[in-house]
Amino acid sequence: MLVFGTSAYLHAQRPPSRGTIVIVVPGEARLPIPTLARVRAEQDLSDLMFLRLARLGPTFTTAGDQGFLPELARSWSRRDSLTLVFELDPRAEWQDSTPVTSHDVVFTLTRARDPVLDPAHALLLQYVDRVTAEGDHRVVVHFSRAYAEQFYDATYHVQPLPAHIVSRIPRDSLATSNFVKQPIGSGPYRWVRREPGRSIELAANPRFFLGRPHIGRILILIARDPEAQLNLALEGTVDAIESVSPYGNIPRIAERPEFKIHPVRTFAVGYLLFNQHAYGDTTKPHPILSDVRVRRAILAALDRTAIVKSALGAYGEVAEGPIPRMSWIRDSTAKPTPPNASAAKALLTAVGWTDHDGDGVLDRDGVPLTLRLILPSVSPYRVAIGLLIQEQLRPIGIKVDLIQLDGPVWADRRGRREFDMDLSQGNLDPTPSGLVQSWTCAGQTGSNVGGFCDSRVDSLVAKARFARADPLPLWRQVIRTINDDVPAVFLYTLTNAMALHRRYTNVSIRPESWWGNLWQWSIDPAQAIARDRALTP
Amino acid sequence: MIGWLIRRGLQAVLTFAAAIVILFFLMRVTPGDPLMRMTEDRQISVAEMARLKHRFGLDQPLALQFITFTSAAIRGDLGVSIYRYPDRVLDLIVARLPASLLLGGTVLLLNFTIGVWLGVLQAARRGQFIDRWLTRLSLSGYAMPSFWLALVLVYFLSTRWRLLPSAQMTDPLLDPSAPFAVRTFDLLRHLLMPAFTLAIVTIAATMQYQRTAMLEVLRLDFVLAARARGLTESQVRWRHAWRNALFPVLTLFGLWLPILVSGSVFVERIFNWPGLGSLAWEAINGRDYPLLLGTSMIVTLLVILGGVCTDLGYWLLDPRVRRP
Amino acid sequence: MRGSLKRVFATAWHTPSGQVGAVTLLLIALVAVTITPFLPDPRIMPDLSGGAAPPSFAHPFGTDAFSRDILSRVVHGARVSLSIAALAVALSISLGAAVGTTAGYFGGWVDAVLMRSVDAAMAIPRLFILLLLVLVWERIPPAALVAVIGATGWFATSRLVRGEVLRLRELDYIRAAKALGAGSPGIIFRHVLPNTLGPLIVAATLGVGEVILLEAGLSFLGLGIAPPTPTWGGMVHDSESLMATAPWTGLFPGAAIVITVLAVNLWGEAMRAAVDPRTA
Repeated sequence: MLVFGTSAYLHAQRPPSRGTIVIVVPGEARLPIPTLARVRAEQDLSDLMFLRLARLGPTFTTAGDQGFLPELARSWSRRDSLTLVFELDPRAEWQDSTPVTSHDVVFTLTRARDPVLDPAHALLLQYVDRVTAEGDHRVVVHFSRAYAEQFYDATYHVQPLPAHIVSRIPRDSLATSNFVKQPIGSGPYRWVRREPGRSIELAANPRFFLGRPHIGRILILIARDPEAQLNLALEGTVDAIESVSPYGNIPRIAERPEFKIHPVRTFAVGYLLFNQHAYGDTTKPHPILSDVRVRRAILAALDRTAIVKSALGAYGEVAEGPIPRMSWIRDSTAKPTPPNASAAKALLTAVGWTDHDGDGVLDRDGVPLTLRLILPSVSPYRVAIGLLIQEQLRPIGIKVDLIQLDGPVWADRRGRREFDMDLSQGNLDPTPSGLVQSWTCAGQTGSNVGGFCDSRVDSLVAKARFARADPLPLWRQVIRTINDDVPAVFLYTLTNAMALHRRYTNVSIRPESWWGNLWQWSIDPAQAIARDRALTP
Repeated sequence: MIGWLIRRGLQAVLTFAAAIVILFFLMRVTPGDPLMRMTEDRQISVAEMARLKHRFGLDQPLALQFITFTSAAIRGDLGVSIYRYPDRVLDLIVARLPASLLLGGTVLLLNFTIGVWLGVLQAARRGQFIDRWLTRLSLSGYAMPSFWLALVLVYFLSTRWRLLPSAQMTDPLLDPSAPFAVRTFDLLRHLLMPAFTLAIVTIAATMQYQRTAMLEVLRLDFVLAARARGLTESQVRWRHAWRNALFPVLTLFGLWLPILVSGSVFVERIFNWPGLGSLAWEAINGRDYPLLLGTSMIVTLLVILGGVCTDLGYWLLDPRVRRP
Repeated sequence: MRGSLKRVFATAWHTPSGQVGAVTLLLIALVAVTITPFLPDPRIMPDLSGGAAPPSFAHPFGTDAFSRDILSRVVHGARVSLSIAALAVALSISLGAAVGTTAGYFGGWVDAVLMRSVDAAMAIPRLFILLLLVLVWERIPPAALVAVIGATGWFATSRLVRGEVLRLRELDYIRAAKALGAGSPGIIFRHVLPNTLGPLIVAATLGVGEVILLEAGLSFLGLGIAPPTPTWGGMVHDSESLMATAPWTGLFPGAAIVITVLAVNLWGEAMRAAVDPRTA
């Protein structure tokens, strides 16, 4: 009774939610709920509707228990090196007014650890041994081994689901259930409706226990094409473009007085990935690229500074290795090697590649040095980077065939290893453990599609992950070793340009969850436009 | 009447059947296993592959394959999309048909009204300044790639002058429960640019046909008689000559349709118009062979039906055709 | 027969639109041949950070996003577009003439089968046949592109030739040749084909315009000749995201298409009028 009275009082104190934000995103969000969300738009929606136990703090340090801020859990403590205890916020409730309890957390983490149901999360949570509830508000997570990122693993990967709803759905049909069509979360915004292929609407959750959101309505529009997205903004239809293509479009939106570009640093790293195996055949080594000298020659031939500047302008920096500049293990003293065309040429000659027939393309035993580079066509800056690579390798006698593919086709082609080179972009987790997926032998069945496998890297990564002392020097050694082997030419780290209408105030954008703070934004009443006037009940 | 209809209908069915044969063999004659091509870009398990193989009857001899393929097609089973697996090709096409018919219908309407009017005007001013320049302008339109014209129109009308929306079929923010008039106006605004793009690149044919037909009619006796009765030139033109000059233009209907559907692949893609053209574009982009084949079949069917409609119109309007 | 062709050319030349078309075409050819050696390599990206620059004295058509000279790319694109168009049309006209004469000369079931097939093939929009064929290649080689475009363009020609053959077959001198014991191929080559030359040349000319548009369309869809070879359609495609900030990147290649196709069509229409004066 007392709790109810307090919250009613609090709600009376807060102004009602009003105003709208219309966001345009490039793709449909089919499965916008935790454990199923994969693509960015799905993650965005999941983050708006569901909370985590705790979220990453401003330093993005994933090691230890200290760099985190409370969300569903108001506090936590450690019983020993293998046991973490979370105390849930008693005010937290699901959007159907059921309280969030420890049973929801136990249910969700247990479900996510099922390797049959959810292999991806089961791998991420492989060291979580057991999750138990002590009363309604205390969750105990037991780990099978001691390591630095226990807290991160327990909180970051999975947002708790409402057990009282999801447990009634047959285990393997969550993706087709009504819960996906009408999700019920614990977060600041609740689901309203979906127009398939066009839009998704969310509304403020007036009972959100951390405070009623200021902005009442979120409309998410889908427009795949960067040009179409930009036009929607220029015409005044949308208030926010999640990612403005840095290639050509940023100046156009920046010149409009009603818009402001917010640079958001990201964990994305773009690289020219080499296939270590033959085209589409992992049983044989690649006839050209399995030789590290050829890979080093390509690295030396590319002027990465020019490429990044030309394609990304101020929104990209040359990558120093497989990790983004945001990462807490970054070694700022490591500098990218400058280009050196004559060294590149010399390396290729040493391996036997020379231009015997004088057609401008190197050859060896009658085979021309031709490489097929696949890339996704929807992203103009990646197409531009592909053209720049093609042009920069031409003078040293490497012929690059550009193969632009639609997103899903490109992803499948990567999965089948049907490429010589690939223009990849890893949107990494904030943790350096993500390196495991892309650059170790174990990752070859998953996202390590280049098939790079070096036992030195593997043992260093294992050492760094389970280091008792400071893991930082070990992680930096991992980075140096990978760079030395050139499994890819690491090209850029990306700063995302988010375009926002100027009437939004109190704007803050979190790199790991762009819309995570949206509920705290508000609208300057003096600049409100027609679609802001409607009150949200 | 019935006899004629049956004959014409049979002819159309035969043409369509032959077109299906051609499309089928286009897919088979080209090098490589069709299913390999259909699946090479999508990860499909061995079991799934075997199931698909069985479903498409690829273990059977070619003749039997063809029968399986056509009998499925006749039952309306155009297979399953690769790109949007497991959506059915026919469902995807049916969902896109209305938008395409709206756009195509508008273009035909523009062609028929503006094109016929300009053609009559040209015939009346044969050899004069306006006739010569209208011919040149329409031929310039005919020489334009529709995608380029669309981009130029977007640049001026949307980007520079902000007069019309640059893409989509409706305003995404428009409340679906808005009054009918508001929604119609919104739709018209979005329809204007794609429809005019396609009309500009196709109108030359209409104008030329109308002009020629009109010139021939103006020489005929009854026109001379009408003039002799003292009717004004515009009365002669619009009451008598025009109606008789209309038939030849009807034959154009069959000629327009293929140009229209091809043009719509480009125009719908640029304007994000949710019709068959953009579906074909998605199929190309996703290397979705079944979807592209299905779209091609439907488009072919539309063209053939267009031809039948033309003949029917001709038959109803012009008694001379009725004689065997 | 030569004489009649000469007459067609002369008549066409003496119409204003024919003259405009022909002169424009000659100019385009002249420019493409003479100034090409003086232009920079259309693939070279001289200044990566420069971006698209508006037209200037150094670059009359401006530069594209990679600082490549657009004039040079348009001129090189002309060679690609025109040679593909010429070769493809030559192929389709030959195919059409072959099928048309066969059908018309032999008649009977040969004619029925061939012409029914042509009817059916004409019902499928050409772009869609092309798409089905072109998608087989990852990046289509130029020779294959020519073959594919040529192989889909002969249907109307075959009808036209067949009609002419049917008409000519009944003429007295062909009958006489037959009576004198001339063999079928001899009659076809010596008497029938030369008579269809006029309509064929008209069809070929108008076909070139159509093929230029088709090839540009395929390039625009990303299915034509692979980069870095410049093509007009490909340039318009690349300009799509730059139209608002650098419209010259798309305007010039597009204008090149319009002018060329228009010139071809004007000349073709003038010839058509010369061949068949009723439609003037």
